[in-house]
Amino acid sequence: MNMHAQPQRTLAETALIDAFGERLSLLPGDGAVMVKRDDAIEAIKHGLPTRRVESWHYTDLRRLLTSVPAFEAGAVTKALAPVLEGSAVLPVLNGLSQTKLPEIEGVTVQRVSEKLTDGSVAPGLDPYGSDDAIGALNTAFVADGYFVDIAEGAKLEKPVELQNLQAGGQSHVRLLARVGAGAKAIILERQTGEGEEALVSSVSQLVVDDGAEVTWLIVQEQPDTATHLAQFKAHIGKDAKLTLFVMNAGGRLVRQEVVVRTTGEGADFKLRGINLLAGDTHTDTTMVLDHAVPHTTSTEVMRNVVTGKAHGVFQGRINVHQYAQKTNAKMACNTLLLSDDGEFSTKPELEIFADDVVCGHGATVTEIDHNHLFYLMARGIDEKSARGLLVKAFVAEVIEELDDEALVEALEERLDGWFSTHG
Amino acid sequence: MPAVQETIDRVRKIDVDQYKYGFQTEIEMDKAPKGLSEDIIRLISEKKGEPDWMLEWRLGAYRRWLTLEEPTWARVHYPKIDFQDIHYYAAPKSTPGPKSLSEVDPELLKVYEKLGIPLKEQEILAGVQKPAVTDEDEIGDNVYKSGRVAVDAVFDSVSVVTTFKEELAKAGVIFCSISEAIREHPELVKKYLGSVVPTSDNFYATLNSAVFTDGSFVFVPKGVRCPMELSTYFRINEKNTGQFERTLIIAEEGAYVSYLEGCTAPQRDENQLHAAVVELIALDDAEIKYSTVQNWYPGDAEGKGGIYNFVTKRGDCRGDRSKISWTQVETGSAITWKYPSCILRGDDSSGEFYSIAVSNGYQQVDSGTKMIHLGKNTSSRIISKGIAAGFSQNTYRGQVSAHRKATNARNFTNCDSLLIGDQCGAHTVPYMEAKNATAKFEHEATTSKISEDQKFYVMQRGIPEEEAIALIVNGFVKDVIQQLPMEFAVEAQKLIGISLEGSVG
Repeated sequence: MNMHAQPQRTLAETALIDAFGERLSLLPGDGAVMVKRDDAIEAIKHGLPTRRVESWHYTDLRRLLTSVPAFEAGAVTKALAPVLEGSAVLPVLNGLSQTKLPEIEGVTVQRVSEKLTDGSVAPGLDPYGSDDAIGALNTAFVADGYFVDIAEGAKLEKPVELQNLQAGGQSHVRLLARVGAGAKAIILERQTGEGEEALVSSVSQLVVDDGAEVTWLIVQEQPDTATHLAQFKAHIGKDAKLTLFVMNAGGRLVRQEVVVRTTGEGADFKLRGINLLAGDTHTDTTMVLDHAVPHTTSTEVMRNVVTGKAHGVFQGRINVHQYAQKTNAKMACNTLLLSDDGEFSTKPELEIFADDVVCGHGATVTEIDHNHLFYLMARGIDEKSARGLLVKAFVAEVIEELDDEALVEALEERLDGWFSTHG
Repeated sequence: MPAVQETIDRVRKIDVDQYKYGFQTEIEMDKAPKGLSEDIIRLISEKKGEPDWMLEWRLGAYRRWLTLEEPTWARVHYPKIDFQDIHYYAAPKSTPGPKSLSEVDPELLKVYEKLGIPLKEQEILAGVQKPAVTDEDEIGDNVYKSGRVAVDAVFDSVSVVTTFKEELAKAGVIFCSISEAIREHPELVKKYLGSVVPTSDNFYATLNSAVFTDGSFVFVPKGVRCPMELSTYFRINEKNTGQFERTLIIAEEGAYVSYLEGCTAPQRDENQLHAAVVELIALDDAEIKYSTVQNWYPGDAEGKGGIYNFVTKRGDCRGDRSKISWTQVETGSAITWKYPSCILRGDDSSGEFYSIAVSNGYQQVDSGTKMIHLGKNTSSRIISKGIAAGFSQNTYRGQVSAHRKATNARNFTNCDSLLIGDQCGAHTVPYMEAKNATAKFEHEATTSKISEDQKFYVMQRGIPEEEAIALIVNGFVKDVIQQLPMEFAVEAQKLIGISLEGSVG
């Protein structure tokens, strides 16, 4: 993962390599899976990525990951009430899935530990590039998770909520989903925890078959003791639609990667993201979007609020392949920098090899507009409330676009929760 | 939106096989042997009659260079350069410091005549014009054909002549080759050389510090507005030579100078290296405008030959309310690796970067800028238009950063690119880093951000939407172009006109 020879291993690198030796006998997997694990730990032995690795330029993992906790610490005992009422809940507690699974019409659920043991997930365990540190870390240590298979044509009435809950220590989870042709589903991925120092790696892999429609929501509310390294990978088929909503509102060191590829004509991808950063968190959202076939569309909107000593990062790269004519891709990243000690870095990239396309990106970093503030204050609203209103409106705009009342309400509730503790 | 036919035709006109400056001249040359070593550096320094401190400075840079690795992060691919296979010094034999133009080798003068660069002051003053280019659509760099421009002509490793020196001296402006400045004005050179681009800056800048052979030196004293355009014309002629020029421009308090740089090279099958360093220093209330028309030989239609252009250009807005503006029109070179930057150190200082990069054939362009906001109330503006055709790759790479103390830093960036054909690529890699809450950064890569009100105003007067947009954007660009030397402005405007329609990211 790192082309540069490292002079000396850091404490975290050593701890990871040692942990692998200790855990190996406990990790599920057939021969093929074990080979992938070995390859992955080899990559980690070459060193965690530094800022010299372009895709990690603003998140020097080698420097920022100062320690790695032992595997077991506290224990979560039960699942949380779902964000959306009536959702079918699939909890992963302390890195392990549950034996008793709910019955959901049109959906087959399997435990990833079983799929590791029989080797059927082995092909998907390869990291996607030499700089894929999260993929490598997860492949080396992944123990469990769920595979959600939604049948062709099934229209799920209730959302499915995947909960990944931890209470300190390490957990490495995979959440896999396939949405069959013409099916429709809302899937919520919830990442949260409590307690002592934690290292969480979570990789989600989604295949959206032809004509299917999926809304996938990631709600990350880790405690400020957690390092959260996550990846979301998806393939979108012909005329299929994927809306990905990401809300980062916690964690000490967070990297959420989004790796999406359009594989069929007429595929549409939407990314809507909110980063609410407080304290001294370092939160990085990195997206790589491949428009690999003609006639596909995408829009990405990120809204970031930076307070305290937080450092926020957004990297977004849109690749338009040579044959992907008529691609229409637009990306925007807007940031409100609210504190003098906060920091935001952004790198919106375009790589275009086709000539008949419309691509654009916009990025802004600014503070609250004084005219807006004046407008509200002139109407008798005190400065603090006026600021609060404006900041909330800035991010809520992204949520309101989701076009599902229950969803919007539930997410705004999470938003209010964050503002009441950090406002 | 696909490119319109007119645009395609215009770009074809400046395609690689249309290169007009590819002739070569047989002139007896005085060359250093191939290769790079401390001895070669001593030789260069001796040939230039340099003081000891300068030699030490060069040797220091060379020792540093030996420890550096070639950077690989740019989106350009080329076989490894053999730095021992290059002549680091080549000068026309017959001109050991000519006193006047009459002593310059007539062959040499012919070269400049052919290139359309007037070196004879009398002729220029008398208004003698070279035959005008008949094709009015021509996109070239014959900015020099009319008007009063002081020119420093650099041929391979040496400056052959600098015009209007005396007239400039009357105004207090020093304009000469850097070798002369090292001899005549050591105190100025010592004070400013390497203060913006230190010898340890990067691989190519360090190499340049060790082996630079000539270039221009401009010093505009306090309160002086330079009475004419200054210009340097670079020509690489000799085979297997590298050109390493060094330009240093200093504008003291309240001074103003506009400087224009042009360059061409003969058509050859081998690649030639050009690694220049340009340093600009603007003190309080000073303003420097630096314009480049880069037209090095781009290689042939199969991608053979051409100049490797690895250039470090940086301006330091050292004083309060100072301003540095870079304008570049890039059409030549097989490889361009160039990021003219501004360090906005003084309070209320401002930096600008306007670029049009056209790539064709197998050219690879990786260019952009850096705006480093350090002082309070600093502002910067970046406008970049990239046009890629043929098999070329055209990358914009830029960085805008505001440091903790850069209160009210303001940046506006706009980069558009246009692709003609499906074998080329256009890439945009902007980096934005804000560490101050009062910073306002805007980056956009489409024309859609034109205010609806403006558009409505124009359309309401019966102008169709597309024309309305073109009109508004042209009006916006015009502010810039009008500030350039006129002939240059006309050509630049044509190029900017091209890239408007059918822009992508």
